Amino acid sequence: MIRRTNSYLSTLLWIVVGLVTGVGIAWAEVQPESGFGLPRDVSLEGWRIDWLIQVTTLFVGLLFIIMCMWMLYACVVHNEDHEAEYDHGDGKHHVLLALTLSSLIFFVVDGNLFYNSVVDVEEAFWNMERAETHPDAVRIEINARQWAWEARYSGMDGEFGTPYAHSPDDIVVLNHIRVPVGVPVILELAAVDVIHSFYLPNFRTKIDAVPGLINKLWFQATETGDFDIGCAQHCGTHHYKMKGMLSVLPQEEYDAWHKMASDHGARTYDSKDKNAQWGWAWRKDR
Amino acid sequence: MDLQPIHPEPTSFIKKYLFTTDHKVIAKQFLWTGFIFLFIGGVLAMWIRWQWGFPNEPVPAILGGGLLHESDGIIGPSTYASVFTQHGLIMIFFAITPALIGAFGNFCIPLMIGARDMAFPKLNMFSYWTFVISCLLVLASFFPDMGGAAAGWTTYPPLSTNVGTPGWGQTLMVLAIFVTGTATIMGSVNYVTTVIRLRAPGMTYMRMPGTVWGLWLTAILNVLFVPVLAAGALLLVFDRVFGTEFYIAGANGNGDPILFQHLFWIFGHPEVYILILPAWGIMTDLMSFFSRKPAFWFKGSVYAMIAVTIVSAVVYGHHMFLTGMNPLLGHTFMLLTLIISVPAEMLFLNWLHTMWHGSIRLTVPMLFALGAVFVFGLGGLTGIYLGTISTDIYLHDTMFVVGHFHFTMAAATFLGTFAAVYLWYPKMFGRKMNVRLGKTHFWGSVVFITLLFGGQMLVGYAGQQRRLWDPFQYTFLEHLRDLNLWTTYAAFLLGIFQIPFVINFIGSMWKGPKAEANPWELGTLEWTLPSPPPNYNFKEIPTVYRGPHEYNNPEVKAVLGRDWVGQSEVLPDAKIESDENRPSAPGSDQAAE
Repeated sequence: MIRRTNSYLSTLLWIVVGLVTGVGIAWAEVQPESGFGLPRDVSLEGWRIDWLIQVTTLFVGLLFIIMCMWMLYACVVHNEDHEAEYDHGDGKHHVLLALTLSSLIFFVVDGNLFYNSVVDVEEAFWNMERAETHPDAVRIEINARQWAWEARYSGMDGEFGTPYAHSPDDIVVLNHIRVPVGVPVILELAAVDVIHSFYLPNFRTKIDAVPGLINKLWFQATETGDFDIGCAQHCGTHHYKMKGMLSVLPQEEYDAWHKMASDHGARTYDSKDKNAQWGWAWRKDR
Repeated sequence: MDLQPIHPEPTSFIKKYLFTTDHKVIAKQFLWTGFIFLFIGGVLAMWIRWQWGFPNEPVPAILGGGLLHESDGIIGPSTYASVFTQHGLIMIFFAITPALIGAFGNFCIPLMIGARDMAFPKLNMFSYWTFVISCLLVLASFFPDMGGAAAGWTTYPPLSTNVGTPGWGQTLMVLAIFVTGTATIMGSVNYVTTVIRLRAPGMTYMRMPGTVWGLWLTAILNVLFVPVLAAGALLLVFDRVFGTEFYIAGANGNGDPILFQHLFWIFGHPEVYILILPAWGIMTDLMSFFSRKPAFWFKGSVYAMIAVTIVSAVVYGHHMFLTGMNPLLGHTFMLLTLIISVPAEMLFLNWLHTMWHGSIRLTVPMLFALGAVFVFGLGGLTGIYLGTISTDIYLHDTMFVVGHFHFTMAAATFLGTFAAVYLWYPKMFGRKMNVRLGKTHFWGSVVFITLLFGGQMLVGYAGQQRRLWDPFQYTFLEHLRDLNLWTTYAAFLLGIFQIPFVINFIGSMWKGPKAEANPWELGTLEWTLPSPPPNYNFKEIPTVYRGPHEYNNPEVKAVLGRDWVGQSEVLPDAKIESDENRPSAPGSDQAAE
């Protein structure tokens, strides 16, 4: 004979599990940064991702709670004292119900995700044209290597060209990238050794830097301040240390720095410094 | 010639327990090997969690800190990379695969379809011993001078080539994956053939238990996609050993690192379903078995599993959204990925409906099956964030991904495996397990699995990347110390709650009460045999008259006075059989399909 179980204890434990999960999710929603929530969003388009994540969490949270309540109710009420129904569930109305429910969930939850993601990607995240056509867009080339981010700005002449040596005013920096607030910043990324992934948590964006490829990314800051640049792709022993800083400056401050750094670049340009000779002509296409 | 002759039982130790062709003994071999590697992988997991909870403090002796004596128990960043790499590969290929697919595929398929053994018993033996070779390679990969494999379980080149991880550790590990792939292919060819050829008369495809369906579809996926992984791994071995440049690009070569990602994920995404399908099958059966009610729309569940099997082959691109993928291709993969949620939802609805108006017995296997539904619910629902491009841009390569795939691939598959262990233990070993220990194991496991992987998801939601030796280097992650610490405690408690299982599993072999033939009162074929079954299983191949989920059939109740009926049981009065359950002539199933 199958041993009778203590339904009360089981019920209680299920409720505890449900509560802990629920409280955890709720806490995450109401306490950005100080608690477990999303990092502060300082980008023009990051709200799209935050909104989509939160709406989806609402949907799936609801589905999950319904599922748990259903199982709980069945375990407690339809227990061994309850007469089981002999039903294969392949009647027409059953099948119709299952199909309708599945499609309903699919069109509401997945449909919402798909539609919004296509819109977000086309309008914002992978819409390079929008950034490229902005008159004040800032362009930066990133060369990822174990375990640092090298960045190259074109100098005052606006041309990337150090490999051809006629543009010695390029600015090359390591791990500290300065950008102006309020204009699109476009990055082209390559990698020397292994795959890295350029990650800006506060800007909700990320792209792999792959040896042999040039990938693109753009973002626009809405606030000034210093923010973390992370590496998201395991790239070897010191992956955890491949950390950079992104300083978002007011436009005037950025312009001043850019002029100063470009002059400095031109003064210190050394055609024999092979380490400074990376870079490529800016690619307009994606 | 008789397709399934009865062989005399081997008497020598070597033929009976080592180089055996008996599928039931091979199942036990896989189970034991799987558990040993589950333990190794588990210790490595504790080390990973230790580093996040207590960065830079020496690992205590109870967690195996003595093994790190060269660094006084401190896990350095290099060792750490090796630890999480080995943890992932060991758990997937050397713990879940043998314990769930190797053990229960071997044990359940012939018994549940009414066969005397696998279609190719010797191939089955070779499959196990090839697998043992790969296990030895894994163990060997821990010891070379420059450390073990350290390129992450995904083994992305160029990091996994000599550019990123020189030394024999990584080579041995990639080789181990290749060899274990060979073993898997041998096993899977066997499963596929056995199900097609050796079903007992009357065992139509739709009368096969869900467990067999899950294992069979898994085997089909294995046969199709493991060769892709094996090819990818072999090219990587060439790059490492013979200096080819298939995957090396940038300053070091002219190959294509993305090629490996395609090969890896063409295999890797089906692999997720390879691991979960047997669990789904077992869950489908257990919901019906212990709700004492027919499985709700069983055909629908089977179609859903078939649909998942097919679609699983064309969704892999969502792992590569951020590699610079063409947006059109990205959107296509996103749509296909989201579509796979439809059959998954159907399965869930069928499970929930099976329970509804049942007469639920919360036995230990049922509890584990319910737990698997719970954690797979969490894992499955969070998957859609990652299958969608815009949310994946933020969540990709964060701990959110780690939490998600641990809920699905680790939590759900292991709870499914444990459900299977508790259910078939009496049949495997002829003795029953202790219920109290089983329930302790269940509640501890499900609570701390939820907290552990839930904690991982929350830190990922807050932005923490995967595979960081010291996440708190980043200012935006500094406030997550406490959360990481609590998650670490959950991991330790999860580990502690496996002790009752070990005691129960080993102790019950000697101390457990002797099991009768059918302790759970189930109708599938294996329960018609004594526990444990003789080496030839069925003295006479049974004839099957009905599906696997005939519970609480009012007509059966009227005749037999019990709520279950065997699949091959002949009822005293043939009139009571409804049209649906009418026995078909032996062998007519091929014509019907």
